[in-house]
Amino acid sequence: MAEENAQNAIVDYQFGFHDPETATIRFDSGLSEKVVRDISELKGEPEWMTEIRIKAFHRFEQMPMPKWGSDILEQIDFDSIIYFLRSSEKTEKNWDDVPKDIRNTFERLGIPEAEQKWLGGVTAQYESEAVYHSIREDLEAQGVIFLDMDSGLKQYPEIVKKYFCSVVPYSDNKFAALNTAVWSGGSFLYIPKGVHVEMPVQAYFRINAKNMGQFERTLIIADEGAKINYVEGCTAPTYSTDSLHSAVVELIALEGSTIRYSTIQNWSANVYNLVTKRGVAHANSTIEWVDGNIGSKLTMKYPAILLRGEGAHAEVISVAYAGKGQHQDTGAKVHHLAPNTTSNILSKSISKHGGRSSYRGLLQVTPKADQCRSKIVCDALILDPESRSDTYPTMEIGNSTADIEHEASVSKVSGDQLFYLMSRGHTETEAMGLIVNGFFEPFTRELPMEYAVELNRLLELEMEGSIG
Amino acid sequence: MISYLDIAVPPRSVHLWRYTPWKRIHPTKVDEVPTVDEFFFSEGIDFQSSSSDEIARSFIHTVSKKSVFLELIDQITDLNIRASGHMSAGELKIKSSGNSTLIIRLSGEPGWAGLRITGEVEGQLSVVLVNDLAKDAHLLRCDDWKVSRDSKLEFSTLSSGGFLIKSDIRVDLTQPGSSCTGAIASHGHESRHDDHHVEIIHNAGHTNSTLVIHSACGGSSHSVSTGLLTIVKGADGSDAGQVFRNLLLSPKARAEAIPELEVLADDVKAAHGAASAAISPEQIHYLCTRGLSPSQASSLIVEGFLMDAFRNVKNQKVIDVIRTRLLVHLECLVNG
Repeated sequence: MAEENAQNAIVDYQFGFHDPETATIRFDSGLSEKVVRDISELKGEPEWMTEIRIKAFHRFEQMPMPKWGSDILEQIDFDSIIYFLRSSEKTEKNWDDVPKDIRNTFERLGIPEAEQKWLGGVTAQYESEAVYHSIREDLEAQGVIFLDMDSGLKQYPEIVKKYFCSVVPYSDNKFAALNTAVWSGGSFLYIPKGVHVEMPVQAYFRINAKNMGQFERTLIIADEGAKINYVEGCTAPTYSTDSLHSAVVELIALEGSTIRYSTIQNWSANVYNLVTKRGVAHANSTIEWVDGNIGSKLTMKYPAILLRGEGAHAEVISVAYAGKGQHQDTGAKVHHLAPNTTSNILSKSISKHGGRSSYRGLLQVTPKADQCRSKIVCDALILDPESRSDTYPTMEIGNSTADIEHEASVSKVSGDQLFYLMSRGHTETEAMGLIVNGFFEPFTRELPMEYAVELNRLLELEMEGSIG
Repeated sequence: MISYLDIAVPPRSVHLWRYTPWKRIHPTKVDEVPTVDEFFFSEGIDFQSSSSDEIARSFIHTVSKKSVFLELIDQITDLNIRASGHMSAGELKIKSSGNSTLIIRLSGEPGWAGLRITGEVEGQLSVVLVNDLAKDAHLLRCDDWKVSRDSKLEFSTLSSGGFLIKSDIRVDLTQPGSSCTGAIASHGHESRHDDHHVEIIHNAGHTNSTLVIHSACGGSSHSVSTGLLTIVKGADGSDAGQVFRNLLLSPKARAEAIPELEVLADDVKAAHGAASAAISPEQIHYLCTRGLSPSQASSLIVEGFLMDAFRNVKNQKVIDVIRTRLLVHLECLVNG
């Protein structure tokens, strides 16, 4: 029955195909200190990294599973997960050198085509490690470092040591501890002073094997006055058993720099997506999270920004779509730690076919953060009586000069809107699709054009059969 | 029903107890059941109350020696509750029908006071509680209201007395057509800690609720407003809204707001909003040019801000009582 359900799901989910496993190294399922040491040894890491991994592993074991968020968390069986699987002996710079099966997968996902057209660099991660990596020569010449995280640690250990765990300590939460213990792959990106990278750089994460755990670690450092737009996409095949994606992303925006981090998460409906994303914004810098959550069984993701320097700005735009059997528990956290800092949070969600979407947010203004301003807007649409939408915002205001606004609303698509569009010749399904695309428009307009088109198409697919 | 001592102390991860944990509002130690004095109620008859599985309600029930029943039928009632002694507690059960008004004034100089109110509303009831406790008092208040078909509850609170306040108000809109309007105004001064939690559950379709909480925070006071609006599955046609506003009057004041929504039905309207800001210097300047001192100007703005919390309350008698009490309170603060 479960297999049958999975097969049905494959029909609905366009990236649900999978290739035969061609692992060169595959650990047995289950987690122990030996597994952690073996991963570190296999990668030839410095001792300090092994020590952090071991400490994080013990912390992971000590920390209880969170009691809040979702009951689905209890279903995670850490012993059934594979914590490391290497599919390719090395990270290739030439697309033709990538193993054929993997190359086919990414070609079906449109990665090489997109790279040629509009990307400044690409990392493609398959299972635990990057299989392909490239960066435009002109960016490399300007001193931009864009590597997979394993290569970053090998080639720039001082920079990694300085910033690794500086924004998300391994003791931050259970899943950050797990990631720190078994991390593999991810992106390492350094943009030198004053360099503006106009074309986005992209990372694409793909889980292919059953019961796989993907634990990438991303570290982005924008030096003073630098600017970067990083785009991330994720897919996985549909299996009847569950996979776990537990990433940690750390952003450091030094004075006057700008980092935009865009994600379109489209994991299949058997993936637990439990991610810790956090950035530190120094004086007059900007961090923007543009976060789309379409797939996964359970997503718990609250991109956070620490506004540490005067005049820093935070922007979070997120959308979530919760369909059958899905729980999108997403949100944003902004900590105003310095004067004259500003933030905007816009969250939009749609629940359909019994799906549940939740906004969970924190806005904190500390006593030293004079004259800061923040605006939070959460809008939710519920498309049928089986679905659910929740809003859990927290505001902690410790400074009397702060100017804070929050508003949220939950509603259904109005009959008047549908009627108006249908009177113009659209079918009910088309009308609903148009309204939903319009609802998400503040998000899609922030994406690169190709991503926006893809997102609209995904939403149209998801919306099929919404009526009646 | 399990006894108080068998109930686990709630963790701070639960919003209700995040900012004022049970340990802090308990009068002694959490594993103790102290002997307390009884409240004086100016109205009502004695009755036998029942306990609860919720820790605060169970505790008040356990320590309380006085339970009073009040039936309101198309009437306006003034109820004075006086707390005395080092610790004092009491329970009040209300049953109202027709168009009734209940004005509760809670006064006295206890170290700790515990008040539990349970109410059933048929028809229309407007109830206001004016907290006039002495400035050192701690108050634990728990309300449970059930509103019947096509009935309406207006509950208002002026919270200006006492030092440490923890209030937990729950309203159950049990049948179609029931509605409630909630309004709370809190004035934080010196190092006062005022924590209000309101849960409104829409258990039937075509039920309406509005909740407005305004907190003016001066000195090193700490204001906490948490709310949970729940619309259950099938409660179509419901309309729920909550607004929390904080006016921060001094650099050391703090305000927290957690307005939560849980919506399990699709044909509904649900919204919430929250805002925090300081008094605009232009407003102070404008009033000063009209001859007011800066403290008088500030007081006038605070009065307007706090009274605005009751904008949805239709009962004029209730509004008058609140305004009178608020003016006296603010005048005492301005003139010492």
